[in-house]
Amino acid sequence: MKFLSLPTGLLVAAVAIPALLLLYFLKLRRRERTVSSTLLWKRAVQDLQVNAPFQKLRKNLLLFLQLLILAAVLFALANPVANFIKRPKRNIVILIDRSASMKTREADGRIRLAHAKDGAMDLVDSLQGDSRAMVLSFADRAEVVSSFTEDHRRLKRQIEQIKPTDGPSKLGEALQLAVAYSANFAAGAVDKAVRGSMETADIDLFSDGRIKDADQQFVTRGRMTYYRVGAATDNAGIVAFDVRRDIERPGKVSVFVQVENFGPKQITSDVSLSLGRKMETVQQVTLGPAAATTTRPANSVAGAGRRTTRATQTLPSSRNVIFKMGHSAGGIITVKLHRADALATDNVVTAPIDPPRAIRVLAVSDRSAIRDFLQQAFQVAFRIKDFTLMTGSQYEEAGDDVLAVEGRSTFDLVVFDKHDTDRLWPGNYVFFGGIPKIPGISRGDEVEDQVFVTWREDHPLLRYVRLDNIFALKWSRLSLPSHAVKLIEGEDSTILAFITDPGHRYVISAFDLMDSNFIKNPASVIFLQNAMMYLAGGGLTGATRLITPGDTLSIPIPPGARSVRVTRPGGAVDQIDVADRNTATYARTRDCGIYKAVFDDAGKTTESYAANILDANESLIAPNEHFTIGAEAVQTVSSEIKANEPLWPYAAAAALVVLLLEWWIYNKRVMI
Amino acid sequence: MPIWRRGRRRGIIGVCWQSDQGGGSLFSGHTEPTLFGSSTGIRQTMAETPSAQLTNRDSPSLLDADFLARLEQLEIVSRKIHASRQKGERRSHRKGESVEFADYRNYVVGDDLRHIDWNVYARLDRLFLKLFMEEEDLNVSLLLDVSKSMDSGEPSKSLYARRVAAAMAYIGLCNYDRVTLCAYNDGITAYRRGLRSRRMMAQVVKFLEDVPIEGKSHFAAAAKQFALRQGQKGVVLVLSDFLDKGGFEEGFRYLLGREMDIYVIQVLSPQETEPDLTGDLRLVDVEDEDVAEITVSKLLLDKYKANLQAYCQSIRQYCTQRGIAYYLAITKHPFETLVLNYLRQRGLVR
Repeated sequence: MKFLSLPTGLLVAAVAIPALLLLYFLKLRRRERTVSSTLLWKRAVQDLQVNAPFQKLRKNLLLFLQLLILAAVLFALANPVANFIKRPKRNIVILIDRSASMKTREADGRIRLAHAKDGAMDLVDSLQGDSRAMVLSFADRAEVVSSFTEDHRRLKRQIEQIKPTDGPSKLGEALQLAVAYSANFAAGAVDKAVRGSMETADIDLFSDGRIKDADQQFVTRGRMTYYRVGAATDNAGIVAFDVRRDIERPGKVSVFVQVENFGPKQITSDVSLSLGRKMETVQQVTLGPAAATTTRPANSVAGAGRRTTRATQTLPSSRNVIFKMGHSAGGIITVKLHRADALATDNVVTAPIDPPRAIRVLAVSDRSAIRDFLQQAFQVAFRIKDFTLMTGSQYEEAGDDVLAVEGRSTFDLVVFDKHDTDRLWPGNYVFFGGIPKIPGISRGDEVEDQVFVTWREDHPLLRYVRLDNIFALKWSRLSLPSHAVKLIEGEDSTILAFITDPGHRYVISAFDLMDSNFIKNPASVIFLQNAMMYLAGGGLTGATRLITPGDTLSIPIPPGARSVRVTRPGGAVDQIDVADRNTATYARTRDCGIYKAVFDDAGKTTESYAANILDANESLIAPNEHFTIGAEAVQTVSSEIKANEPLWPYAAAAALVVLLLEWWIYNKRVMI
Repeated sequence: MPIWRRGRRRGIIGVCWQSDQGGGSLFSGHTEPTLFGSSTGIRQTMAETPSAQLTNRDSPSLLDADFLARLEQLEIVSRKIHASRQKGERRSHRKGESVEFADYRNYVVGDDLRHIDWNVYARLDRLFLKLFMEEEDLNVSLLLDVSKSMDSGEPSKSLYARRVAAAMAYIGLCNYDRVTLCAYNDGITAYRRGLRSRRMMAQVVKFLEDVPIEGKSHFAAAAKQFALRQGQKGVVLVLSDFLDKGGFEEGFRYLLGREMDIYVIQVLSPQETEPDLTGDLRLVDVEDEDVAEITVSKLLLDKYKANLQAYCQSIRQYCTQRGIAYYLAITKHPFETLVLNYLRQRGLVR
């Protein structure tokens, strides 16, 4: 226990206690009354005194009670606090999780983030006067709420202003920021003592412990404490969602939804599909309880968790729901799980769909075998009506009006065979044996007599592509930017890479098709099919328009547009100046819902984007009991325990009780 | 309006004047607004109509006419037969000159020849003297506490005690008893002896009216003085509140030593038996200004009442063990009931 205002309490005590004693020992002014004889009265008083227990005490009982009341009041004035967690003087970094799962509504009606903020503010209160603290909030990105300061009021004010997001929780950036800030602070500190103390800056994490990348992180300095926030577990949510148009019959739309129950009880709920504001169809799903809710490792991938659940339960906790409908126009598709649970955000998913249009594919090759292969694949196998073949020179000589329309590539997919080019309008490109001439990508020496060592089967581009029997005689060693996704790797080189740049997506194959048996294998056709569906979204739906909250939107700008107005799900509007640019980037995608971008060009071009959580890790709201970071277990503190609980209300209550007791005793003595 | 009454024992016919003023005072008809009325008025009235009573318009009544008329039918009884000096109406141990035959005895030289029974002499030829019962008067002493403590209470203890004293004196006077009045506090303050016949009632009233209520009470000292002065045995009625810090036992010992037939009436006011006090008080003793600081509570009041009861009980026990008749009178009860009923039951009067 600690007194925050001890001097005040002592000062008042020094005045009040002697005053009380003085008042008490001043003679009580009694009314005078003449009686015929005091003989019997004196005897009665004497008898009372003789017979009463604790005579001395009784004599001054009221004084004792008054002293007790005064003591309680003084105790309250000294502002005592119960420090359940003993905190030496030190500096801390407070990390507050504000990811989607922190929007969970707890039993008291407040969201989990509010509890986390309370816990953090209690922690700030418990700090000694000259301790420094900084506050970071994080979801998929980290944000500095307050840099290192001794001003505890400012810290609390800033903590109060943290707002929840719908983003997934990623700790990495926040940890890096914490370390960087504390390092900068320490370096800037002239006082050696301060610098010394900074080296031991501890990290206090307020979260429900459902952090996706926790196993990939490690704490470089200080000690981490995990304050577990929240208790609610009842939640079901939509964890996967996809909208497709049938390639052959573009008027038909298929909607795939995966619904999963994360709560401890079996649930039955309706899943509805709406187009615009009109509800189209409803299906009922019954989901079994997630048996392993609490024991499930937080950092495991959602799929693994579901498998465990499915194995142990007769009724699966996760089900796929498929809606099929005919719809030839564009619009917004909304799928809703009709259930009032702790986390509402994951019960709704939305997606904008475009009217069906024919996919346009361009193949650029100088070699007849490849030309034939591509023509067979796209025209015959995939029935692409708008398929164009060009040679390398034809492509380079083609006018801009041929290759581009409205600032974008005319074609949904362009396939290059052994051709390097820099004529790359925003669009989707597949390079076989060639590279895009853009910064960061270059070709090195050749690699021979090596095999494909590893590939990512789970990536949409390589789905169902069996590479066991595929080989390449040689390939070029590629130099790629860091954000490139390596799909196929050899012993020491990348064979297939996927690169996303604003407006552009590239698939680059390091080997030449003629140096491989790839085109002779069915895998090549499946790969092209995947590329067409994934990159061009089948050319039918806005695959690129589905984002995760927190993602940066890359909006292609139509010609003539000078600014774009983006309307957020909450109704707030942001205006971005986009003159002389190909794409506009927009990062305020904190919340789930539809983001609508309206350009000021002649046609008032409108683009819609949908942000959905679709994250089993966030939908699993049961707080993580044992949080580990990297392979290291973190000390866990339940934030229900008040870090710094003020005791003055108890003292005041005690004073009131004693006051009532005194009143009662006094009246009992006086009353006849 | 005159009412004719006949005396029980001597056939005296007295006239009582019904009071015209309801509730009247001791003696009706006189003009001075004093507690016991004008002595002159009493004397005049009593000379004409011995039991006629006058009523004071303003002050509370002491004895009303009807009550006095009923008192006339009573007499004070002594449980012992005391020797007296004067003839009276009470049977004595001695042989004397009443009409009631007692015994014969042989004539000895010097006896009064008038008492010889000549008829016996004629029959037996011997001289016998006829003896008759002697009738003597009774000494009735009234010891009245006039200390300051008696001057409290509502109704007043002193008024109550004086009324009882007046009533007892009147009964005694009516029966030709020798009445002695003695007022005391820490000694005898007023003393009047040898009152006989109801003509003396005016003196009794004057005595009771004039006696000052003052001083500390000291029953033992007063009883000692009284015992020394009162040589003759008789009935003694003590009227006091006995709130005497010196105790009561010693005083009774002096009286008992004189072999007196003692009656005790302890007079207390309702304020003493059921105190109506509240709050923090500084109680001052009216007699010696002794101070007791109290905070009144139920506990204290209960204790006080218990103490009072124990005190009264101790007096009663002391008295009973020594053949003294004790009665506790609370002034809120009518004193007529005390005199006419209770004292009759207890045998002081009949």
